[in-house]
Amino acid sequence: MEAAATANGAVDGAVAALRESTPFGDASPGLLARVAAIARAARYPAGARIYSAGDDADDIFVVVSGRVDHVFTPEVGAREPLKRMTRGGVFGWAGLLLGQTRRLATVTAAEPTEVLRFDTEALVALLESESLDGGRVMERFAGMIQREFTLPAMLSQVRRLSGPLTEEMSSLSLTMYRLSLWLKSPRPYLMVIGFALFLGFWYLAVEVWKLPRFREMPGLTSVVKEWVSPNPTYGLSLYTEEYYQHIVVSVWRVTKAFVLATLLGVTFGLLLGWSRTFKDYVFPVFEMLRPIPILAWVPLAIVMFIATESAVVYLAFLASFFATALNTMLGVESIDESYIRAADCLGANRRQVFRHVIIPGALPFIFTGLQISVGVSWFSLVAAEMVSGQYGLGYVINTSYMMVRYPTIIIGMVTLGIVGYVTSAMVRVAGDYMMEWRVRELALSER
Amino acid sequence: MAVDHCSLEIEAGEICMIVGPSGCGKTTLLNAIAGFHDITSGRITMDGEVLCSDDKPKSTPGPDRIVVFQNGALFPWKSNLENVIFGPVMQGKLARKEAIEKGRGMMADAGLSGVEHNYPGEVSSGMRRRVEIVRALMNDPKALLLDEPYRALDSLTKSVMHEALLEIYYKNKVTIFFITHDLEEAIFLGHRVAIMTTRPCKPKKVLDVDIPHPRDYSVLTSKRFRELIEETNDAVHEEALKAFQAGEKEG
Repeated sequence: MEAAATANGAVDGAVAALRESTPFGDASPGLLARVAAIARAARYPAGARIYSAGDDADDIFVVVSGRVDHVFTPEVGAREPLKRMTRGGVFGWAGLLLGQTRRLATVTAAEPTEVLRFDTEALVALLESESLDGGRVMERFAGMIQREFTLPAMLSQVRRLSGPLTEEMSSLSLTMYRLSLWLKSPRPYLMVIGFALFLGFWYLAVEVWKLPRFREMPGLTSVVKEWVSPNPTYGLSLYTEEYYQHIVVSVWRVTKAFVLATLLGVTFGLLLGWSRTFKDYVFPVFEMLRPIPILAWVPLAIVMFIATESAVVYLAFLASFFATALNTMLGVESIDESYIRAADCLGANRRQVFRHVIIPGALPFIFTGLQISVGVSWFSLVAAEMVSGQYGLGYVINTSYMMVRYPTIIIGMVTLGIVGYVTSAMVRVAGDYMMEWRVRELALSER
Repeated sequence: MAVDHCSLEIEAGEICMIVGPSGCGKTTLLNAIAGFHDITSGRITMDGEVLCSDDKPKSTPGPDRIVVFQNGALFPWKSNLENVIFGPVMQGKLARKEAIEKGRGMMADAGLSGVEHNYPGEVSSGMRRRVEIVRALMNDPKALLLDEPYRALDSLTKSVMHEALLEIYYKNKVTIFFITHDLEEAIFLGHRVAIMTTRPCKPKKVLDVDIPHPRDYSVLTSKRFRELIEETNDAVHEEALKAFQAGEKEG
């Protein structure tokens, strides 16, 4: 009574039925199609026994139409032994359970019934190959067995998939997975349209319509021409060594400032959050210094550091130090008291609590702080470079303005945007790497 | 005053349920036993050893009495197995390798094999509770102090968790101090049920539950269970009303 579901119409019908089942309800269309492709259709007349308790648990069934009666053996301990199932009902999942190879129930067709059959091992292999999506389906199987079939939780534990999700899912494979999801979603294409609109407006406003405010601005084509020209009119383009020199100098300054600010800021913030006395001494001074705008420090920095280089780095450092320290402190203070109490109960000493609870507990806030910190570090660096210095992107922008090289200003600005985005993305990747637990939690809750 | 004139003796190896309306001071009592709060006067002893008294108002938290928290306190940044081995490894009682072996064994006994390397955030809330209880039992505690551990669970998961807790209890006879505001839960699980008054919190009535252990879910429909509920319902309701009138907040 079986027929392979090969025709296209049959596959579509199978996908539709799967979509109405609990485990596959929110699986991706791609996964559903692959699952449907291994389905075999079968029909049973009213009263036919589909399988009996104690049989080998080989296939999994999904009801397409009709109705079946599913009766557990008493040993299973289901609170409601009889379950009637119609379209979208899933039975025969015993083979998915840990350490279970036999049928737990007897199933009969109550009406003429159409079902889809899946070989359990083939289905598991398929789910394993789809890592995250597959793991999700297995979780939903477990939830369904426990809730809809009223089986005790002890019994309703499904097998672990040996895919990258459940065994050793590295942050890298997760990043790749996200990337592939992103490419499949409409988001990248909307992003391209967004850029096109922005650039298009720039082009039209300056070069075609010549709107009053935009008349003096460098146009899109002149900037692009200058940027990619081997012989730039104003001396700076992708082909000149000087361009890269400015980038390298700025990046190197930000790196020094950011690393120093992170080391000192995190240490300082942890101390602030951890020791009440230290906070009482230091925090009022800290809070008074923090709101002072970075530009107000410029004269002092030049007086303090004779060399302009150190003065510029100092200014970039200062802004990011405050951001990092403050967020780290908030991170420590945000840690739920129960975690510390639990660690106390489990016999951890103060040093161990610090190492195993305070630091990891504060990490999410610390990384939020570092994201802000890398941003303000660029911000204050450019401000400092505009005031003093002979190299760097801020210097480029400032001197180009004074020497009326307008396209070069835009080249400097766009370059800053790109370099700033890359550094900020690097901080985010580092954060994901260090907080795998959080990445995985978010990955589960997003879908 | 949250707790006053509270005198209660719990036998070794018994499940003692503390029932009272939200905000009646039950958690304060637990915090005093665990060593999270000072006491102003009185004495708490365990196995003859004084935990806290007028001379030493704060007991030291330790692995002999471990708290399972209302909202769960598994470290989300450690895998389930890392959580489970935390106690013995921190105390230096077991080497990491031995602890992992013991932890795997105990997790398997509690039906938790397969989730060792998952983070707590990746498993169901029911599983998280079991991992937390296993983490406590790894230290061979004399007592477990449970603070409404199943409060946030839906009633179906809750019923499954009750049986799972009893199963774990039958395997590791440990004294259980269990706070709840759910009378059915209390009578289903406990050897004794102490119904507490509202602020100050002290035992109003202590009920011996004469339904024999081991119990399973059929107890819930038994005649004796219903009788015991009827016997105590009034006392609980009276306190709930008092708490409500006093305008106490949840807590």
